[in-house]
Amino acid sequence: MTRLGQVYLGVILVFLYTPILVLMAMGFNASPLYELPFSFTTHWYETLAGNDVLLTAGLHSIVLALVTSVVATVLGTIASVALSRRTFRGRNLLQVLLLPPIAIPWLITGTAMLIFFYWTGIGRGLHALIIGHVAMAIPYVVLVVGTGFKTIRTDLEEAAMSLGSTPIHAFFAVTLPLLFPSILGAALFAFAVSLDQFVISYFLSSPGYSTLPVQIYSAIRKGFTPEINAISTLLLLGSMAVILIFARFAKPGETSDKR
Amino acid sequence: MPNDGLTSASDDTSFGRGPSGPRRKPLPEWVTTTALLLPTYGWLTLAVFLPLLTMFVFSFMDKTPLGKAPVVFTIRQYRAFIDQPFLVRIAYNSLMIGMWTTLFCAVLGFLAALALARATTGRTRETMLILILLPFWTNGLVRVFSWTMVLREGGFLDVLWHMVAPDAGSISFLYTRYAIVLGLVHGYLPYMILTCYIALVTIDDAILEAAASLGARWWTILWRILLPMSAPGLISGSVLIFVPVIGSFMEPRILGGKVGVTMGTVIEDQFTQAFNWPLGASLSFIMLAVVLAIFATFSGVLRRSSGGAA
Amino acid sequence: MTNVDVQAVAKTFGTVPVLTDISTSFPVGSFTSLLGPSGSGKTTLLRIVAGFLQPDEGVVKIGGSDVTQVPVWGRNIGMMFQSYALFPHMTVAKNVAFGLERRGIKGAEARRLVGEALEMVRLPGFADRMPKQLSGGQQQRVALARAIVIKPSVLLLDEPLSALDRRLRQEMQVELLRIQRESGLTTIFVTHDQEEALALSDKVAILDKGRIVQIGAPQEVYERPLTRFAAAFLGDSNFLTGVVENGAVRLADGTVVQATGVLPALGQTVTLAVRPEKMSVTPAEGAVNRIEAQVKTVIYAGPALSYHLQTADGTELKLFAQNHDGRLLPEGQKVTLHWSAEHTIVMAD
Repeated sequence: MTRLGQVYLGVILVFLYTPILVLMAMGFNASPLYELPFSFTTHWYETLAGNDVLLTAGLHSIVLALVTSVVATVLGTIASVALSRRTFRGRNLLQVLLLPPIAIPWLITGTAMLIFFYWTGIGRGLHALIIGHVAMAIPYVVLVVGTGFKTIRTDLEEAAMSLGSTPIHAFFAVTLPLLFPSILGAALFAFAVSLDQFVISYFLSSPGYSTLPVQIYSAIRKGFTPEINAISTLLLLGSMAVILIFARFAKPGETSDKR
Repeated sequence: MPNDGLTSASDDTSFGRGPSGPRRKPLPEWVTTTALLLPTYGWLTLAVFLPLLTMFVFSFMDKTPLGKAPVVFTIRQYRAFIDQPFLVRIAYNSLMIGMWTTLFCAVLGFLAALALARATTGRTRETMLILILLPFWTNGLVRVFSWTMVLREGGFLDVLWHMVAPDAGSISFLYTRYAIVLGLVHGYLPYMILTCYIALVTIDDAILEAAASLGARWWTILWRILLPMSAPGLISGSVLIFVPVIGSFMEPRILGGKVGVTMGTVIEDQFTQAFNWPLGASLSFIMLAVVLAIFATFSGVLRRSSGGAA
Repeated sequence: MTNVDVQAVAKTFGTVPVLTDISTSFPVGSFTSLLGPSGSGKTTLLRIVAGFLQPDEGVVKIGGSDVTQVPVWGRNIGMMFQSYALFPHMTVAKNVAFGLERRGIKGAEARRLVGEALEMVRLPGFADRMPKQLSGGQQQRVALARAIVIKPSVLLLDEPLSALDRRLRQEMQVELLRIQRESGLTTIFVTHDQEEALALSDKVAILDKGRIVQIGAPQEVYERPLTRFAAAFLGDSNFLTGVVENGAVRLADGTVVQATGVLPALGQTVTLAVRPEKMSVTPAEGAVNRIEAQVKTVIYAGPALSYHLQTADGTELKLFAQNHDGRLLPEGQKVTLHWSAEHTIVMAD
């Protein structure tokens, strides 16, 4: 039975990774029409290096992801302090209100943002993308940081206070350093969420400021060459790297103080 | 010595009171709590709650408010399913795609989670889990796109097929509903594996040993113990897959071609092609109502099994 | 060194009263245990003295000055927690120096004091270790060093030994007592372990339902419990109920029991308590009281034997005896139990 289970898991992994690997391989295939058999070239990466549209969009994506990561991590961590450490009326409701950005299909949230931003004059472009992406990332930050809080016993802060710390000093001297891995993990997670976000970006991009996934989508629909495979490969590898680093920082079960 | 002089309790051997200086009455807790929460919830209000509210208002307009033309409020947009009967067929189509995707994910995902929980240990299990979840956190659009490389005529699948049967025709099924479901299963399977796995790892070995000691064979253990005990994982996984799938639009567009018309693509069209925002808004709201009804129905299960299901 | 006074303190959580009108005093250099079942309010009282909780009513004084409105960080207390609560991201030295730093003591002076404190808890040379690298008992010592290095006005111990295993725990009890005596710190110790409370303290306070039902020297509280609760919670007791008659008590089956101490008025119903180890199957000098009972169960525990017995009218009794000769009373045997008048304690309720 154990053997069978392992074989089955192998099949699942093949299913999950085959298309991704094929996509990556086709970025190194000479035929612009994706014809096989395979003949190796780095031509598409060379042309990509001169493709200003895709490279600019890539830069936009990275800038947006950085801003999103910083803003969402700061806001989400601050909110997490109250949600994890305070008891007050309406806390459960506030926790439920974190779910819509995650749970409602992005198509609905994205089009709603489009309407509202148009109607209020906020419009589209980088600022609109930041508003949207941060809102998408905040719930994940609260979740990751909140999980971090759960691993830190409250009596550590009490001990600090018994030794003369004010609550604020106790937080900065004791809780924050212990929380740091979670916060860093949350920041990486927020970065990945923003980098991979397509639907919201699709509705909030302006002609002057669009992100890489939006450009890829329009290329897919209008006609494309393996250049798209090349840039997609870079995007995939980028977010995989971020997530792998995240997994190192926020390893579930590995806490600073287990007792 | 930093004795702030306020204390009389300390004698010569004491270092004096804490260093916090004069006793300051701290701010009331509700003030600080509000201050901590305001930025996040203000942001969410601006970015999510107000937009949803605005969209609700728009869904009652007779046309997209542009220029000076006066806007008339109407419930006409909500009659779309009666006025445009083809929408009913599209909605049915979307629901069927959602059902099949969820079903495939449930079967494949539960078995994978079972294999993960029962057939792997330690580092292997950890690595497997990361490998399974890794694609989930990469760009969904790119992953959908990658299937076109596999499924297209003369693509990777055909090449494999022709190795086995050199003279047979193409087995490409790109631009069919099968391709849409395949792409969606590929996209959402890790979710199901994760939720089921979380439910399955908490089952104590002793329970299975107890069942076996009472004479249960493996199929009895599977049906009577493992499946019921992991039901919360299966249900929350199903909800978390079904909901985004009925709202999907890029998967049907890219993998479905002309047959890929779903509620998602219809709504997208209203905003990007037809420019009929009120219709798009009302269709979005009908979909949102369905989504909320699903969440309300399963809220108990979701809350109990929401441990780290992000 | 300072004394601690608690005056008329009351605390309610929601609608549940946790402490009701607590007034007591902890003299300079004393070691007082707060003993009681969970929910008796002992931890709440400790946290009010520490300043983590504000009492709804009443006053807390440390060294004579009213600190009721002073937050915990201004009270100069030393506290040990059940979980040790060592800062996991700091070395042992940094942990111990934390409170000193808060008091503006840094550099060589701080190093000297930290060294002394670690010396006192017998962990010299551990300064650069991380808490994770220490055993439970060692972590406990660091927590103690951290609490006493700041020369607190009062040392508060919240079940600090309950996470240790039995051997280590006894070792730490000795340490704790030695350090408390050396430092002369007024100490308040919350525990639910009665043996620990009796062994360590100058005074034991028994709490029940938010009130101190009895406070006094261990021997006094054990030998002369005032109420049924105190008699049953601290150690074991046999309870006998009867009616006061001619300076003695007549039980329902007619047995007359002599007691020293003040009996209520003639004809009143009264409960008497007798410790199981004070009874004996062999008559001894002065053992004027006797009662017939039948052995129901025998529990053999090596050096000690304990018997469950029943009198003719169904009253359950316990008897503890030393295992002098390895012989047990057989089950079913009828015996006569003897004890003296001074071991018959009159209950106030």
